[in-house]
Amino acid sequence: MDGIHLMATALHAAKARLDVSAANLANVSSDGFRKSVGRATLTRDGLVASARIDTTPGPLRRTARTFDLATAGTGGFFVRTPGGATVEVRSKSFDRDARGHLVDERGNVLLGTHGPLVVREDATIDARGDVQEAGTIVARIAVRPGTALQSGFLESANVDSVREMVDVLGEQRAFETAQKTLAALDDERQKDANDVIRIKG
Amino acid sequence: MNRAMFASASGMAAQQQNLDVVADNLANADVAGFKGAQATFAAIGGSAQLGVASTGTRENFAQGKLMKSGGAFDVAIDGGGFFRVARDGEPGFTRAGSFARASDGSLRTSEGWTLTGVHLPADAVDVTVAPDGAVRVRGRDGKESTIARIALATFDVPEKLRPIGSAVFGATGASGHARVLAAGSDRGPKLAFGMLEKSNVSIVESMMAILSAQRAYEANAKGVQAADEMLRIANNIHRS
Repeated sequence: MDGIHLMATALHAAKARLDVSAANLANVSSDGFRKSVGRATLTRDGLVASARIDTTPGPLRRTARTFDLATAGTGGFFVRTPGGATVEVRSKSFDRDARGHLVDERGNVLLGTHGPLVVREDATIDARGDVQEAGTIVARIAVRPGTALQSGFLESANVDSVREMVDVLGEQRAFETAQKTLAALDDERQKDANDVIRIKG
Repeated sequence: MNRAMFASASGMAAQQQNLDVVADNLANADVAGFKGAQATFAAIGGSAQLGVASTGTRENFAQGKLMKSGGAFDVAIDGGGFFRVARDGEPGFTRAGSFARASDGSLRTSEGWTLTGVHLPADAVDVTVAPDGAVRVRGRDGKESTIARIALATFDVPEKLRPIGSAVFGATGASGHARVLAAGSDRGPKLAFGMLEKSNVSIVESMMAILSAQRAYEANAKGVQAADEMLRIANNIHRS
């Protein structure tokens, strides 16, 4: 691969990494958002950008709503999707529906140890996932062992805006550097071509 | 660059919306019975990472603190539920129990919402409301009588109510119909006469939310700038 094409792939890679940083920055207020980390790898086809999702938990934010659930620890709790699949999640905001089920904005239902949880409006939820109504435990939320539930909290995005800003600057400069190198190579070639003509002449 | 630019622009729009909601909360921090809201956002485009979109606002129906007030007809709800009110035939539901006596004997909020089901007799001189909602009046002749009982309303999903006044909400399809909620029972809500429910907006938290929204807006603006700068460089690709 010649230098000019290599620099063209470097331009593409810097642009792709900027796309990733911009999307991360845009989602700094999206609860539960997991950022992507872009990186460029040198391959036989030049620089290739790829992104992987960073699953580091974001900080917990207090909302004071009982049915906002977040987790401390490695695991999560379980919801049933409208399609019937069971999915483990780490933080969700639920509303009580007419049947007393706890449902998130996408229609996923919170699961207890015996299927979908049915709760009263004044229920409270403790760290083990026990649901109490007027002082008595009536149900338990299915939680992965070793995980503590936090009722009244939501997990914020794990985006660090300072770091993303630094990345944006870095990507911009990487783009600029690639362009300058490309232009320098182009100049070289122009000189070479002109010199060849001059020798002939 | 365009994807980055649109993603950053969507981030700016989101923070603008965030700020609108926080500003509305702050503006109503002193309105009795006001419930703070929060804008919610979610990523769009999945792995294509197209930015962010608003998923609406969530009302926070947590109870505000009850405070003693000077109003002669002030009632607060200690517990769940809403007062049923109406204005021009439109039903509404509120927790702002700051009423004044209108000339026709009805109890009205300052926004003109009338408390449903209560009409004070013209000769009533002293009015009290019991924890179970019973409205007792004493006439000029000194006779006491119960003239009405304030009925509270509750909903399957109060979070889906729609704000139609500063602290007044309307039912929606998602919230379900209003159901009667009896006050005064052991576990039910109680009415506190001579009290008002303060808004549940925390001024300190709102100020922090404003600061972080402002910074996030700036960061996204920098994202737009960076994308723009890269486009400029791309247009001058041959220049060294």
